[in-house]
Amino acid sequence: MDAADLQLFERSVRQATERATGDALDEALRELGWADALADDAPASISILFRLQGRSHVTSAALDEVLATGLGVPLTGPVAVVLPPLGSDAAPGARRDGRLCIDGVGTPALRRAERAVVAVGRTGGEPSGVTTVATSELDLHVVAGIDPDVGLVHVRAGDVDGRVAGPGDTWARAVSLAQLALSHEILGATQTMLELAREHALTRTQFGQSISRFQAVRHRLAETLVAIEAAEAVLTAAQDAPSPALAAAAKSLAGRGARTAARHCQQVLAGIGFTAEHPFHRSYRRSLLLDQLFGSAHTLTRALGDDLLRTRSLPALLPL
Amino acid sequence: MDLASFRAALDDWLAQHARELAPPYEGSGTLDERVAHLARVKRLGYDAGWMRWGWPEAVGGLGGSPILRAYLGEALMARDIVEPDAYSMTEVLAPTMITYAPAPLAAAMVPPLLRGDELWCQGFSEPGAGSNLASLACRAIPADDGWRVTGQKVWTSYAQYAARCVLLTRTGTPASAHRGLTALFVDMDSPGITIRPLGTMHGTDEFAEVFYDDVPVPFDRTLGEVDRGWAVAMDLLPYERSTSLWHRCAYLQRRLERVLATVPDGALTPLEVGEVAQLLLALRARSRTTQYRMADGETLGAETSIDKVLIATAEQAVMDLAATGLAPDVMGGDDATSERWRAEFLYSRAATIYGGTAEIQRNIIARRVLDLGDDR
Repeated sequence: MDAADLQLFERSVRQATERATGDALDEALRELGWADALADDAPASISILFRLQGRSHVTSAALDEVLATGLGVPLTGPVAVVLPPLGSDAAPGARRDGRLCIDGVGTPALRRAERAVVAVGRTGGEPSGVTTVATSELDLHVVAGIDPDVGLVHVRAGDVDGRVAGPGDTWARAVSLAQLALSHEILGATQTMLELAREHALTRTQFGQSISRFQAVRHRLAETLVAIEAAEAVLTAAQDAPSPALAAAAKSLAGRGARTAARHCQQVLAGIGFTAEHPFHRSYRRSLLLDQLFGSAHTLTRALGDDLLRTRSLPALLPL
Repeated sequence: MDLASFRAALDDWLAQHARELAPPYEGSGTLDERVAHLARVKRLGYDAGWMRWGWPEAVGGLGGSPILRAYLGEALMARDIVEPDAYSMTEVLAPTMITYAPAPLAAAMVPPLLRGDELWCQGFSEPGAGSNLASLACRAIPADDGWRVTGQKVWTSYAQYAARCVLLTRTGTPASAHRGLTALFVDMDSPGITIRPLGTMHGTDEFAEVFYDDVPVPFDRTLGEVDRGWAVAMDLLPYERSTSLWHRCAYLQRRLERVLATVPDGALTPLEVGEVAQLLLALRARSRTTQYRMADGETLGAETSIDKVLIATAEQAVMDLAATGLAPDVMGGDDATSERWRAEFLYSRAATIYGGTAEIQRNIIARRVLDLGDDR
């Protein structure tokens, strides 16, 4: 897509995410050609949609489509992909004695789909790959969790007939794309938190003046922006030069940045931000849940540290 | 010269001259040894052309993008050839001369700085003007034959080694604040200058108090316009947060590599190591964008305070990690390697103080990036 196409695409996605969520947003995305855009320019379409989705606190089935693209599964009919269990970025499927076990989560798309795509990790001598299984064979139940608006589904299966059909080793690519998408969505939600806190600081009066004049308040908002920009820098780099290491770092920094931001913004919003009717908690909940998908700030950072301590060297990333 | 050719040729040259370029001392060496080594490295680099790339031909450079300077510094840090402090001051002071000095002065003065014949210093802070720089009091009074400067500066890094100083003086009334400042380019061997190095917490007496007693400075040593010194200072600060910050980031990566290479098994948790590596990566990604913005001719502004907050945080994080993982050496070792870690750890405590405190950076971000309005 050239610059003009991108601008046009962004405008239509913005309108869609401002008006609709869930099924209605999926319908709107179908109409504006999101799937074609994804096939044509994955990084650009992912960044546009997921950023706006995070900012507007809406949901769609787009993550399943991103994963299908990454896995190399054709996008025909409603696609649902089983995601890793919370906190993990490992393939949710494992083969034992020729049978398939599944432990993961899913988006609401999984409940509507007849078949689900499952990535299978390498176990013993058996190769990794991708298979599809009938959703009727899966044990699915919807959980409210910390962010009930997402409609997260727990997925389990202990004994499914799952011959791995291929294509071969696409899981790492799918994980990186998902991490980019989720980083954008987390940062979108975090920008919303900052916007709410900034607006509140400028309009709330105490001690006869706007609280935005107090250095304690200003510094919290500045800290929030620094946390966002740190994650943004790595996310932009990961998008320009895709690599699993950069995508994981971006996801990790986004998740940790969101927590930092939430701590400061919540404090600035104070009592008003603690009420259920104030929108702050929705963005906060969203960022906490998304942090758990495809590796959290905690697990990805620990995995990176394990690698560094094992190899005793620092990979050369981002040359000039 | 494009970056790819520059990188390949420079890497080659550095490999061929590794022996000559290596510091002749263990650990940090003394400050005298370090300053002498830096001069030697700059001289070798200048004669081979490397130190001249990325600088305009008008000041003895060979032209090309400032990205070349960023890479040169990175390559030197990555090989433990020099440390960033005094090396990177060129990146702050030479651009100031190029922008604000009369052209003949810049043409005469910048080459000896690049060649390592001279070290320069920056006279901004005063006992009564730290964070509130605009309140500085060191006076410059016009006489018949030039300025006469009287006052005191403090925390002037490398003053005792410096041949010249970019000095910020008050030329307006005491109440004129940032509207009454003028920047001067001062020879440090002028009569009336007394330099008294200050002992520091980390044991390297790299900064000094500098007393100016009726020091004559010719009018043609004025940088920029009279009473417009604030603009010179404000233009200089973003340079501190671009090329020289990239150099420092490369140095911090090198030090983290040393931690990883030498830390005893089990002394650090994966989580703390991973977090520091990510902080450094974020700094590198952010600074990399800033390098290209500067190379594209963009004016750097308040947003570079974010780069500055990130590097101060990352520097302390790297050194905290070293002090944890290598604690027996850092706290209880007397060999050169332990002493170097100890000095670096202690020096890193200043990262949130020098070049504008962490609080001043957050004030700038709040007012000028987040647009929160005035705080008074």
